[in-house]
Amino acid sequence: MAKNLPLKGIRVANFGWVWAGPVTGQTLAFLGAEVFKIESRARIDLTRTLPPFGDGIPGPDRSLSNHACWAGNGSVTLNLKKAEAQQLARDLVARCDVVVENFGPGVMEQLGCGYESLRAVKPDIVMFSMPAAGLDGPLKGVRTYGLSLTSLTGLDSLTGYTDGPPVPVENAYSDPYNGILGAFPIIAALRHRDRSGEGQHIDYSQQEAIMHMVGPAFMDYAMNGRNAQPKSNGHPLGAAAPHGVFPCAGDDRWISIAVLTDDEWSHLKRAMGDPAWAARPEYAKAGGRVAATAEIHEQLAAWTAQYDDRGLTQLLQGAGVAAAPVLNVGDLLDDPHYKARGTYIEVTHPLGFRETIYGAYVKTSRTQAAVEPGPVMGRDNERVFKEILGLDADRYDALVAAEIIY
Amino acid sequence: MAIGALEGIRVIELGQMVSAPYCAKLFADFGADVVKVEPPRGDVARQWGPFPDDQADAEKSGLFLFLNTSKRSVTLDLDTDAGRDCFRKLIVDCDALIENYLPRQMRAWGLTYESLAAINPNLVMISITPFGQNGPYSQWNAYDLNAYHLTGASSRYCGRPGEAPLEHGTFSADFFGASAAASWGLAAIYGRDTAGGGQHIDVSCAEAIAATFVGGQNIGAVAQSGKFDKRTGVGMSLGAPATILPCKDGHVWILCLETAQWNGLAKSMGDPEWMQLEIFQDMFSRAQNADAMYPLIEQWTMEHGKMEIMERCQANGVPVSAVFTVGEAAEHDHLKARGYIIEQQHPVAGTIRNLGAPFRLPACPGGPRSPAPLLGQHNDEVYTTLGKSLQ
Repeated sequence: MAKNLPLKGIRVANFGWVWAGPVTGQTLAFLGAEVFKIESRARIDLTRTLPPFGDGIPGPDRSLSNHACWAGNGSVTLNLKKAEAQQLARDLVARCDVVVENFGPGVMEQLGCGYESLRAVKPDIVMFSMPAAGLDGPLKGVRTYGLSLTSLTGLDSLTGYTDGPPVPVENAYSDPYNGILGAFPIIAALRHRDRSGEGQHIDYSQQEAIMHMVGPAFMDYAMNGRNAQPKSNGHPLGAAAPHGVFPCAGDDRWISIAVLTDDEWSHLKRAMGDPAWAARPEYAKAGGRVAATAEIHEQLAAWTAQYDDRGLTQLLQGAGVAAAPVLNVGDLLDDPHYKARGTYIEVTHPLGFRETIYGAYVKTSRTQAAVEPGPVMGRDNERVFKEILGLDADRYDALVAAEIIY
Repeated sequence: MAIGALEGIRVIELGQMVSAPYCAKLFADFGADVVKVEPPRGDVARQWGPFPDDQADAEKSGLFLFLNTSKRSVTLDLDTDAGRDCFRKLIVDCDALIENYLPRQMRAWGLTYESLAAINPNLVMISITPFGQNGPYSQWNAYDLNAYHLTGASSRYCGRPGEAPLEHGTFSADFFGASAAASWGLAAIYGRDTAGGGQHIDVSCAEAIAATFVGGQNIGAVAQSGKFDKRTGVGMSLGAPATILPCKDGHVWILCLETAQWNGLAKSMGDPEWMQLEIFQDMFSRAQNADAMYPLIEQWTMEHGKMEIMERCQANGVPVSAVFTVGEAAEHDHLKARGYIIEQQHPVAGTIRNLGAPFRLPACPGGPRSPAPLLGQHNDEVYTTLGKSLQ
């Protein structure tokens, strides 16, 4: 039997922009789908303009961060402000299995590509919409960026130092999170289509998906009326201690240590050389340690500060304690673990420069995902318009000249 | 009644705490038959609460009740030969195994992918661990906290300079890894014939985040120039306003980058004169003058409540949002109108509120179908069926 990627044969039109939608396309592409991101020079995606650029030369086909986040998506350029471009988009959708988009509710309708229009040309289409707060409800039109979307879930209210205000996360965790998880309902809907012949319009509320991360704290609210507060890196349920990030020797070096069981506490004590402060009998049980978290953390920090983060990790892991260095961005590329797993990969972009992106962020034993560089705008125009839609060369050239394919 | 999208998929979960249970919950809530295999004392999540009135009870743990909806539970002692034999029998005709034990534990039990694939070549084994099945750190003992902080996410994106890098205050790495596992695992099941059989899906929670969240935005720059950034304690340092500010009754996320948004914010604030100053007319210049600007905005926010600020700004097209407490999110009209907060009847815990489906498939709806199972609740039916099928 042939070893194909599992989604081979599935074709996707991706109207996604910025980050979340493109990551959904990328995930489907890693899994074998043929994905065409629809974009236009008439309104170049903001992320294509973000520095740094390949070899330092600015240009919409040279943004390194854009390429990493979008790689795997193909690119088709259509100026959807024009009716003829909208028609071509619908023609493409008629030959696709899946449509992905992450605009606000109503935008796809304005582009002539709402669910009803697409269903008219492809009755069993699986359309995937991922607006901030879903397709209906009082907040359906809420304006957020991925950065702040999490504030609507309670997640931001949990993030910060103990007894302090919420501290903002400085980038949109929810974008790649939702981008990746978005593939799940899409594949589920494909399965349903295969079994029933029925397509559907998936309503993926980014708010509701992220609020699952708040599930543990939600249950405490639902059961006890409590609103969880920031607690630094303490255990999310307050069930274990020590549990945190502790300073190490050097500039901004830290180690994470999580002691979840009484056995692990014994291991940690032994690794520290059984200091007197740790010998208190009430520390032997989790409840006693949790009650004394502040004191234990202070003592532990004084001890860890004498060590280098990687050396101390070896020492603690050797003793059976869950500990790991806290990496800076600058550590990632040379980290032996990520190197061994091939997490980051250098590829040659069609414009000639080398760029480092990430590969399949999940490892699969039977079929390995192909990794491509970031898509050049319009890379797949000929394939889509000539091969799939069957336009002749004259017609294609005319559409390019009219800035419809643009 | 419409059937769930994943009806007919048979899953065995060998999971503790968050990552594998959450992944399996997504399958279960959308129709798969998930049998959760628990040790005789139960999933550790049963012991960790939160509990109603803080009274510990293995059947009333909020964490467990959230993560294990729509599943069946059986108990099995994998530390015995008989237990492992029985487990292999469960594996023989299932579609997927979702597990999150450290690789060394699965090896110690003899339950590696190779040994299980030998008895079920169609098996999709989904392993979710902090550091994955291979690579030097796969040997380490680790939890969610260790995984998250190995990604660069905290150092780069959360905390004040000079102070400890922060995770979100929940099991962020576990949830991220579980979500990646759900998508990749379901693809492997859906496309099993296309792929030519089952396979091992190896998810490292740390790697998924280090690749997509941190690597996506940073790794190209580091590779090209060696330069990288660290956390600033402010929501965005290049453009402003973009951070969390205090207000009369809590906090608000003030985000206002484009010119139209800045004008909308000015309107919301009653058009104060200072906002017309030249230095505040674009987001970069505002960021350079943030120390002067934020206190002026804060004077206004401190006079108003978070919901009022959000409503006013949103009405003027500004993407400002209230920092909801968990309770404010849970009680919000929007989530009520969408039916996101659900009620379940649990035989021991009674009436419990829970979170509904994270996405809607109108043709084949999902979401919790039954409350989390009691420990070993389905031992009789599962083992009786198993006994019959083996005869």
